[in-house]
Amino acid sequence: MTNSIYRNLAFTLGILVFSSFSFGQQAAGTKPEVGIQDHKSDVIAIQNATVVPEPGKILERATIVVRDGKVVEIGIDVLPPPEAQIIDMVGKTIYAGFIDAGIELDAPPSDATKGTPHWNSEITPDRSMADVITANEATMGKLRKAGITAALIAPRDGIIKGTSAVLLTNNQSAIDSLLKSDVAMHVLLSVTRRGRNSYPNSPMGATALARQTFLDAQWHTQAWQTYHSQIGIEKPETNSALEALSQHMSAGKLVMFDAGNEQFALRADSFGREFGLNVILKGSGQEYQLLDKISKLNRTIVVPVNFPKPPNVATADAALDTELEELTHWELAPENPGRLVKAGVKIVLTSSGLSDPSELLPQIRKAIARGLDKTAAIQAITTLPAILLGIDHECGSIKPGAWANLVVTNGELWDEKTKIEEVWVRGERPLAAFKVETSIDDRWQVTLSSGATTLDSRPTKLFLNLADSTKKISGSFSLPDVRAKEEKAEKPIDKSEPVAETKKSADKKKDEQKGIAKLKNPRWEDRTLTATFPASSLIEGQSGVGFLTLALLPQSVAGSNEMLVGTIQWQDGQQQLVSAVRNPVERDENPADKKEEPKDALDEKEVAKVKEKRDEKKSSKPIYSTVQYPPGVQGRNGLPEQSNCVVFQNTTLWTSGPDGILKDADLIVQRGLIYKIGKDLAVPEGATVFDASNWQLSPGLIDCHSHMATDGGINESSQAVTAEVRIGDFIDAGDITIYRQLAGGLTSANVLHGSANPIGGQNQVIKLRWGGTYDDLKFVDAPAGIKFALGENVKQSNMEGPRTRYPQSRMGVEQLFRDRFNSAREYDALWKRWNKERTGLPPRRDLELDAIAEIIRGERWIHCHSYRQDEILGLLQVLDEYKIKIGSLQHILEGYKVADAIAKHGGTASTFSDWWAFKLEVYDAIPYNGALLHSQGVNVSFNSDDAELGRHMNHEAAKAIKYGGVEPAEALKFVTLNPAKQLRIDAQVGSLEVGKHADIAIWNGSPLSTLARCEQTWIDGRKYFDRQLDAETRKRDFALHQSLVQKILDSGESPGEKSSLANDPSRLWPHHDEFCHHGHHDDETDLSEHD
Amino acid sequence: MKAINALSTWFLLATGLIASDQIPGGPQKRPIILRNATVHTISGETIQNGCVLFNDGKITEIGVSLSFPADAEAIDAKGQHVYPGLMESYSSIGLIEIDSIRASIDTTEIGSLNPNVRAAVAFNPDSEAIPVARANGVLTAVTAPSGGLISGRAAVMALDGWTWEGMTLLPDAAMVANWPRFAVAARRRRGEAESAPAIDNDRLGPLHDLIREVKAYSLARTKAPKNQQVDLRLDSMVPVVEGKMPILVQANTTKQIQTAIAFSKQYSLKLILMGGADAMQCANLIKEAKVPVVVSGVYRLPSRHDAAYDAAYTLPAQLQEAGISFSIASDGKFGASSLRNLPYHAATAAAFGLTEDQAVRSITLSPAEIFGVSDRIGSLSVGKDATLILTDGNILETPTQVLKAYIKGRQVDLSSKHTQLNEKYKAKYKQ
Repeated sequence: MTNSIYRNLAFTLGILVFSSFSFGQQAAGTKPEVGIQDHKSDVIAIQNATVVPEPGKILERATIVVRDGKVVEIGIDVLPPPEAQIIDMVGKTIYAGFIDAGIELDAPPSDATKGTPHWNSEITPDRSMADVITANEATMGKLRKAGITAALIAPRDGIIKGTSAVLLTNNQSAIDSLLKSDVAMHVLLSVTRRGRNSYPNSPMGATALARQTFLDAQWHTQAWQTYHSQIGIEKPETNSALEALSQHMSAGKLVMFDAGNEQFALRADSFGREFGLNVILKGSGQEYQLLDKISKLNRTIVVPVNFPKPPNVATADAALDTELEELTHWELAPENPGRLVKAGVKIVLTSSGLSDPSELLPQIRKAIARGLDKTAAIQAITTLPAILLGIDHECGSIKPGAWANLVVTNGELWDEKTKIEEVWVRGERPLAAFKVETSIDDRWQVTLSSGATTLDSRPTKLFLNLADSTKKISGSFSLPDVRAKEEKAEKPIDKSEPVAETKKSADKKKDEQKGIAKLKNPRWEDRTLTATFPASSLIEGQSGVGFLTLALLPQSVAGSNEMLVGTIQWQDGQQQLVSAVRNPVERDENPADKKEEPKDALDEKEVAKVKEKRDEKKSSKPIYSTVQYPPGVQGRNGLPEQSNCVVFQNTTLWTSGPDGILKDADLIVQRGLIYKIGKDLAVPEGATVFDASNWQLSPGLIDCHSHMATDGGINESSQAVTAEVRIGDFIDAGDITIYRQLAGGLTSANVLHGSANPIGGQNQVIKLRWGGTYDDLKFVDAPAGIKFALGENVKQSNMEGPRTRYPQSRMGVEQLFRDRFNSAREYDALWKRWNKERTGLPPRRDLELDAIAEIIRGERWIHCHSYRQDEILGLLQVLDEYKIKIGSLQHILEGYKVADAIAKHGGTASTFSDWWAFKLEVYDAIPYNGALLHSQGVNVSFNSDDAELGRHMNHEAAKAIKYGGVEPAEALKFVTLNPAKQLRIDAQVGSLEVGKHADIAIWNGSPLSTLARCEQTWIDGRKYFDRQLDAETRKRDFALHQSLVQKILDSGESPGEKSSLANDPSRLWPHHDEFCHHGHHDDETDLSEHD
Repeated sequence: MKAINALSTWFLLATGLIASDQIPGGPQKRPIILRNATVHTISGETIQNGCVLFNDGKITEIGVSLSFPADAEAIDAKGQHVYPGLMESYSSIGLIEIDSIRASIDTTEIGSLNPNVRAAVAFNPDSEAIPVARANGVLTAVTAPSGGLISGRAAVMALDGWTWEGMTLLPDAAMVANWPRFAVAARRRRGEAESAPAIDNDRLGPLHDLIREVKAYSLARTKAPKNQQVDLRLDSMVPVVEGKMPILVQANTTKQIQTAIAFSKQYSLKLILMGGADAMQCANLIKEAKVPVVVSGVYRLPSRHDAAYDAAYTLPAQLQEAGISFSIASDGKFGASSLRNLPYHAATAAAFGLTEDQAVRSITLSPAEIFGVSDRIGSLSVGKDATLILTDGNILETPTQVLKAYIKGRQVDLSSKHTQLNEKYKAKYKQ
């Protein structure tokens, strides 16, 4: 409001206001002047340019008046003030300077010894880029040359990294470039690399820490308010980091989250919702993969244009090894900006991720060629970022009151040929622009001052033919009639090239030719041409060598023409005055004006680039436009259709329910639920009917111990207790393991945190809804759970190197549980008391203790990794004391030794069917474990804990028959109903019973037979896997793969150094528990993986 | 129910042995005949209601109704099945006891060229993994060293006996080589820069050098033995270069397979391909070169992210179809402790295209042929060792129990640490 008033004032008051601006400028500084003060003229008027003051508007032959770095007037009929320097920009186009909201710079790390920082060095919300920025022409210069005149500069590292500042990209200190400080808080809900030692060392941990910090910031404010308003209460912690974060939040300022892939965009949005944050996303370029969901977030996205180079598909082998996802991303990435805009997403474009900001325009042009609207493209680098950053009154368009940040081009911005010629920041014209690059390439008509006579006796009629188009100057004097013959020979000779003997001698002859005097050692420096020439070949009566010195007088304001003026010094020391003017007639005769070529002649590289670009254009016809999800093989267009009613007739039903095994039975599914089971059921109208007489149906299989479908790192292993971390924050809907296990009849899985700590993170039960997004996969009805672990892994027995973490023995593990349970009890009591009395300091919400308190209250189920009988008993004893009932004992390979105790506690056992001997604590593991536990009344399931094993859980179940003689129908329950009970989801899934979810595996034989195959897998009455469909989709994928490979080969583009997948966070983190089975996991038996 | 009954009889038998480790079976003292069984000869027809007669450790007769000597032990195997003992094509059994404990591991020697070391001599006959494997019918196993370029010599071991010497069926069955990886795309995905192709070529350099050195050494030893000292490494490679000992090459990718075949042809080596994930990409070449493939596990993830989910499941059927000889190994996660699941690898291949007979052959006769012991084991035929199993059902089905097993006619104990602990804790819950 205030700004616009000033603007209007400035506009209406005209000159009067200008002068006050001028004085204001001086008064604005606080530094005392030293010596004589400068009073340079700061008024500039640019005339005759085509001006695009804002996207969609064009002013032809407009005038811009700039005073003290700001635009004061713009228009067609504007008269420049008399004191203005006039710059004629006829033929040029001027745009508002670009704004880049995505720049990151290294900022000094936080120092734990100074002030009152956060305890974790990754949390530095109090770090303000405005405070630490130094003049950085290396970065700013590059941005400026790319047309970027203002940039949001954020600190690069950390989780809550600190605040960014908007700076002009002029080569000045922050005093003169800083526009706005503390603009956005920058957050990365992950850690950038694996193998950190300190907390957090996983994306899950980073998110938990960020979540805790935002809570702490809220608490900090509340606590201090309480402290100031009540007397005699405990002083809360002084913490500048929390204070800064709290202030930022309460001011409603921007919080920018790094969204390293399309899933991170959704995650960041959910996180922002938790705290009501003003979220903007720093995108990855993969947003098109989840366009629908992302467009509904209604968040502004800072979108990169670093479209990937193609993968290397130069050999058949390499092509085979290249994943479809990488190929499609190469194909579709340039469409990302256009697709986002069309979907209504507000985007701003950034040069971030480009090897040089100068690629920004060419890359945006690619995006335009692939669907991005031209006006939207300009908006995305001018007005939109200006509005986003709250600097639209001073940046982003050319208008009175705005900084004179100008991009001067030689044409329409998105035209391939257009080049940026000048970039003005704050009214400063780049020095180089004043240096008028002058070519003397021409035919000059020479006038000799006095009576010298040329060979043909015509005085003073002489031409000077100069060529400078390749930076090497060359030239000759010639008489009018001989010139024509010589023209062709007057090509500049690059001295770096070896000249053939014959040519040399030919040249010599030419030099001697009468009427031609070739210039030797010509130099063109400081607008002065110096050379020597054989005098005798030109001027009668002269001999030897003449020295030529000519200075260029440019066209004057008064209107006189360009001239070369100087002297010739003859052999005898006499000087003769010489002048020369361009021969305009001759120039017009020459239609192929050399000046069309850019001044710096193209070197080979650039020629190659141009060629590449042309080739790209040729092959840039899109191959397909439907984006599948997950990207890559077996991608889908959304979830499979849910039929209203499906009937399976005449089939064998392994119900895993009270009905046992039903033969010749029918099963009816309605709207995702099992509606009826029985013989000869009436077929409801409109139902899809399957003759299932060759099939046998079982409940969809359930794996109670999995690590698939998560890219949060599986283990937050830096601390012994990490109850605050959540697998659910990092469900990875794109993990191919989901599809592979679906193909083995699996429908639900318990995705667990790893076993690196006694109290690990919170688990997430999922359904294998392949094709959905990360939220779609969550099993909504599953109650909360948490991973505990005992034994070798938590005491770090198999770890190399020094270990300092408590505990290092089974003794310590048991004590740690007691310690945390006690803390959680006290924590709960504290809250209860405070909720009742509301006096004293408000308790701080502690996410770790929250989770543990939930365990104690029976609201969160423990799934405890355990092997040896002693530790099992130890745990059960502790739990009994705290009146906690365990959810499930995981692995529990010595469970058979204490089956009675487990049964007494009411514990359940989720075990391997037959794994043993992979470490000392499993040397007594036996395959009879399941049957023995079962015989003592313990609920038993078999789990996989493994990407491969999870593909044939039915084979595992059959081992309960082999080892211990469990009845087949009971054995099947080990992978259906029993794990459902362990996860407390047996009301919904685990058996084929009326009212339960229609999660069904269809087999071509007995589900317990190794000789049978899974034919189809249904979840919620939707068919997620079908062996026939799989074959068809494979053909589709193969054809797409082949055509993209062909397209890459046709394009001639050179491959990138790295795969575009190398930067994808979901590939960075493992999908197995590294601490568990001593290297026996293959995430992917990518046999080509290991070197 | 029959299975359960059979099981309990067997438990009675087993309980007598619980007090100590399993005692190796003694030499066959009198003829034994298994009668009225389904006899899966593998080399020939499957005989319903057939008999197998064996004496002095050798199979003497197979037929429908055989007359047999009066002193023979006649076993009525009605409703039961006789198979040749199963053979594991690739494992580290006897060389590893507990994966995480270094002291219990003897698979890997230091350095990259170790052709001289022999798996047989480090084979622990008292490993608990041996009775566990045997209990499910795996009576013979290739056990192999690992690591480096040339890991050493693999041995074919009988899984019962007092000493490694007594258990060795073929000591130097194959030279194990780990082929270099040429993993350009995978490296790029890991964000590593591509290496120049020249480097890839160099990766075979040490192997070329080795063969040249062996040839020169071999010549020198023949022509002037006094002037050429014995070199253990080179000496052990001589039979490989002479084509007498096969070289077993770990090769999964197309490029590995192609270069391994080219290498073996160049030096006339006898090649066995191990792994073979991409075998179908170069099936013609493999067939043309007559190279057998040891499929290293059917319970295996697809070798590439984009490969078909069932790529590993269908590979054996595709090899069969292409006319390439192959065996199936259970090698994978647990190289010593999981041999007992060998029949289920084969069964899964059957679920995805092999016939059941082909599946059983891939874990009996085929590995015996590939590793050069098919004159003694691998099928039920007269004159071969009486190394066979009696089961209560289809060996490919999980619930099937192995009732009896014989190695060279010696009846072996089917109990194990696992059955013993099972009995012990069953007893606990009866108290």
